[in-house]
Amino acid sequence: MNKIKVYDVILSPVISEKSTLVSEANQVIFNVAPTANKAEIKFAIESLFNVKVKAVNTLVRKGKLKTFRGRRALQSDSKKAVVTLEDGHTIDVTTGL
Amino acid sequence: MQITEVNADGLKRTLKVVVGQDELGQRFDRRLDEIKDRVQIKGFRRGKVPVAHLRKLYGRSLMAEVVDQAVKETSTQALTDRKERPAMQPSIDLPEDKDEIERIIDGQSDLAYSMSFEVLPEIDVTDMSMIKLERLTVDVEQDAIDEAIGELAKRSTAFEAEEGRAATEGDKVKLDFVGKIDGVAFDGGTGEGMEVVIGQGNFIPGFEEGLAGVKAGEDRVVTATFPEAYQVADLAGKEASFDVTVKEVAAPKVPEINDDFARNLGAEDMTKLTELVSARIAQEYAQAARMKMKRELLDALETSHAFDLPPSLVDSEFESIWQQLNQSLERSGKTFADEGKTEDEAREEYRKLAERRVRLGLVIGEIGDKNKIQVSQDELRRALVEEARRYPGQEKFVYEYYEKTPGALAQLRAPIFEDKVVDHVLEQVKPAERKVTKDELFAALEKVTES
Repeated sequence: MNKIKVYDVILSPVISEKSTLVSEANQVIFNVAPTANKAEIKFAIESLFNVKVKAVNTLVRKGKLKTFRGRRALQSDSKKAVVTLEDGHTIDVTTGL
Repeated sequence: MQITEVNADGLKRTLKVVVGQDELGQRFDRRLDEIKDRVQIKGFRRGKVPVAHLRKLYGRSLMAEVVDQAVKETSTQALTDRKERPAMQPSIDLPEDKDEIERIIDGQSDLAYSMSFEVLPEIDVTDMSMIKLERLTVDVEQDAIDEAIGELAKRSTAFEAEEGRAATEGDKVKLDFVGKIDGVAFDGGTGEGMEVVIGQGNFIPGFEEGLAGVKAGEDRVVTATFPEAYQVADLAGKEASFDVTVKEVAAPKVPEINDDFARNLGAEDMTKLTELVSARIAQEYAQAARMKMKRELLDALETSHAFDLPPSLVDSEFESIWQQLNQSLERSGKTFADEGKTEDEAREEYRKLAERRVRLGLVIGEIGDKNKIQVSQDELRRALVEEARRYPGQEKFVYEYYEKTPGALAQLRAPIFEDKVVDHVLEQVKPAERKVTKDELFAALEKVTES
């Protein structure tokens, strides 16, 4: 998998209360492409941040039904990945790439 | 915080202030703590943002803020600790080196800066009884009263229409007119029932003169030339003929000076009017005498108080005088050469004036302070009303200006304060009284204002 594709897999870090909470357990959360699988995510993270990944857990957040200007429409689904790093590896998501 | 005096030369002081790294750190943590519960960041409930995260997000800008505040606080603190009165806002030199600033902001280095300022000199107010002053008094003479009443009468001249009178200078003529240039009526050149007083020169030259000798009911063609500098460019310098129809010729009538005249002016009778007029004249004299005395007093105060002046105050005073001077010169289109002196000479002269003003300002302020002279809100309000009355129809703007412009009120306050201090000093000095004539008084006033 080349570099360009790597950027397509990882969309953005998730910065929230929960994500800072899990960072205690050496885990980092990312928004990822809905088509990406765990292996791809693992490879992408390892090559982008130069770290070793222990495990990847993913979840799909289903799009919500929203009413906009009187029309109801479904938001697109989004996929998040909770990446557990090997001991001694860290990613500082707030500093950016 | 450590303060060391680097330089104390005359009135100048230079201090070096060092704020320790840990003190800055404490201030920074306090500041972080303050904003912790207020910031709202997406993904976090209010107040739940971890401090570490905040520090990462806002750390640098917050630290800059903290440094800024620390400089402000410590500099005023340094001044109060030393119990010195600065003449002006101290100038603060922060380290200019980029890396140095970086290190301070990153919290790895002490904050050190130097501040320089000038202190106000110690002023010993001299003994007021040393000052000798004269209060000139003038009796109001009958001549002056008569003259003033005559002036009043002339101003309230009434006009009386007379049948068949040929208009002469001073008469009022009521007329309709149609103005034409080359036989064509021009814009704004037509008028009905206009009143012209011959000889007042309110109209274009030649028009009033051309009316001499007209009688009521007469038609006449008057030719007059618009001046070159007329405000309507199309008409300037053109010759125009006016077809004039005279409606009425009225002779001026200066009212006789008697009780009726007095009543017309709002007084009860002639004696009352005389009293009023003489009181007004007496007030005029008193004002002139006071002005002369004030000038002399200020001169005396200036010569009797010798102390070093803070150069920065003199400079700023001089700059403002200089600017005003240049503006007025520019407006009138003159140069220093026209005034008969070189720019350097003028500079020298106004520098002296600036020094005088600063010195007197300090002395008067000191006297006022020592004697607890204050300008009350009432007095200020009265002055404001007075000021507003000078611009009839625009009172609202005047009030608004004073409300919105900080420092404008202080400018209003200054002359009141000065007057009160002068009054106070005069009370102590107890000026000797001397009777003089009116001419002598005004000559004396002129002499002191000139010098």
